[in-house]
Amino acid sequence: MLPPALVASQLVKAYRRGRAVDGVSLTVSRGERVGLLGPNGAGKTTTLLMCLGAVRPDAGTVEILGHRLPRERDRAMRGVGFAAGYLPLPDHMRVIEYLRMFGRLAGLRQPGLAAAAALERFGVAHLARAMGTELSSGQKTLVGIAKAVLHRPDLLVLDEPTASLDPDVALRVRTALCEISATDGTALLVTSHNMVEVERLCERVVFLSAGRVVADGTSAQITEDFGRDDLEEVFLHLAGVREGG
Amino acid sequence: MPGRPATFGPLAAGVWRVLAIAQRHAYVLRRSPHRLFDVVVWPAVDVVLFGSIGIFAASRSGTGAQQVALYLLVGVVLWHVVYQAQIALATGFLEETWSRSLLSLMVTPLREWEYVLGVALFGLVKLVFGVGAVALIAWLAYAFKVTSVGFGLIPIAALLLAVGWAIALFVIGLVLRFGSGAEALAWGILFVVMPLSGTFYPVSALPGVLRPVAQLLPTTHAFAAGRALASGQPVPWGEFGMALGGTTAMLAAGIAFLVWMLRIFRARGFITRYS
Repeated sequence: MLPPALVASQLVKAYRRGRAVDGVSLTVSRGERVGLLGPNGAGKTTTLLMCLGAVRPDAGTVEILGHRLPRERDRAMRGVGFAAGYLPLPDHMRVIEYLRMFGRLAGLRQPGLAAAAALERFGVAHLARAMGTELSSGQKTLVGIAKAVLHRPDLLVLDEPTASLDPDVALRVRTALCEISATDGTALLVTSHNMVEVERLCERVVFLSAGRVVADGTSAQITEDFGRDDLEEVFLHLAGVREGG
Repeated sequence: MPGRPATFGPLAAGVWRVLAIAQRHAYVLRRSPHRLFDVVVWPAVDVVLFGSIGIFAASRSGTGAQQVALYLLVGVVLWHVVYQAQIALATGFLEETWSRSLLSLMVTPLREWEYVLGVALFGLVKLVFGVGAVALIAWLAYAFKVTSVGFGLIPIAALLLAVGWAIALFVIGLVLRFGSGAEALAWGILFVVMPLSGTFYPVSALPGVLRPVAQLLPTTHAFAAGRALASGQPVPWGEFGMALGGTTAMLAAGIAFLVWMLRIFRARGFITRYS
């Protein structure tokens, strides 16, 4: 039996201002689509960065596809794709050059073909020859997601993936991500401030608040547990609790 | 989309990752002509400056001044080996911080040493152009043929190349630890190393208090060996040996320092400075 896409156990991370993450455990099964939600400062990004090996936890462990970080980081990363809405594209590269580079970093034999297929999938094949500086923020986001999926990863981690997209393009991205998950068995771990998007894209939601997991289940279960009508109300409730201390 | 794309085995994949990083930096240089200042313009300025000082000195006095001209020209050629190696690696890494590519690169199978190797590999190309420009101008403008020094210059240049990389590893480590505040060191540190190394003069010309410091630098012994060869003396094995030992120690220290700083970088979550 294949190991889960991600197993994070009892992650703790403290900075000078206090504990950013305080005992978070998170498992994402193969092919599962999980949303990681929480108000600003809840510890989402720190949790993601620890899960990706970019930040070392003070305590706790991370395993990706059965590979323990940091010891087996390079093997783990072969199966991981990552995109964040806030990460820019390099100024001095064409889109196709950028994607080919990441294809090479992922070990692909034919990165050009994989890059072209990924651009096609997200409807931006016409941008292949464009420079990073010539793209709109939405186009950059799409290219970033194409970069994350071009090697067909087993775990796709997306931090605010559709923050700068028009609703129709965001829908296209969600549809493509669901297809990838269904056809390749790719697990998704997604953070977003768009509750509607998370409800549509993710089958499971993990809510963080003050560095801890405060809810974990389907969006229907969570709204019921908190006695609210939808995830947005849960979010506002948790943000209010946080604000009020 | 068709089935999963074919991948290389671990060894070939590693080689391709190194080449991918080298190519990424080739794109950067090709599309940002101002970076050619480091590769061609500063080397040209240096060789004209020091070459002309040497020629002026030689025209004013006797045979001793001829030697000064030779020292200056050999010094500037060898200095640009250190300079180009250091600048290429250090600014190559800075490029990732300026373009905020660090996080994207960290979430790939790319290993740290593969990254360093890729940038250093492209740095070698820049070095060939930079040192080639210096040697060409020295020949055309001052009739100084670097080949006249002999093959002994090759191992000396190799040691200086390694020193340049070692200094760059320290600079990268400091940028990882202290952020953009340490960027100035990418250029500035060389202006400390150059006079202390006796690049253009024997260490005996330095103030007494600085001489022991100079003796600790492998560059000091490499430049001394280079001057000896240029003066037609036999290979100075003693100086060469000290340069070799010092370079090895400096490279090992640079790697250890970088590994230490990387550990701190990950432990303190400094990646958020670049994301």
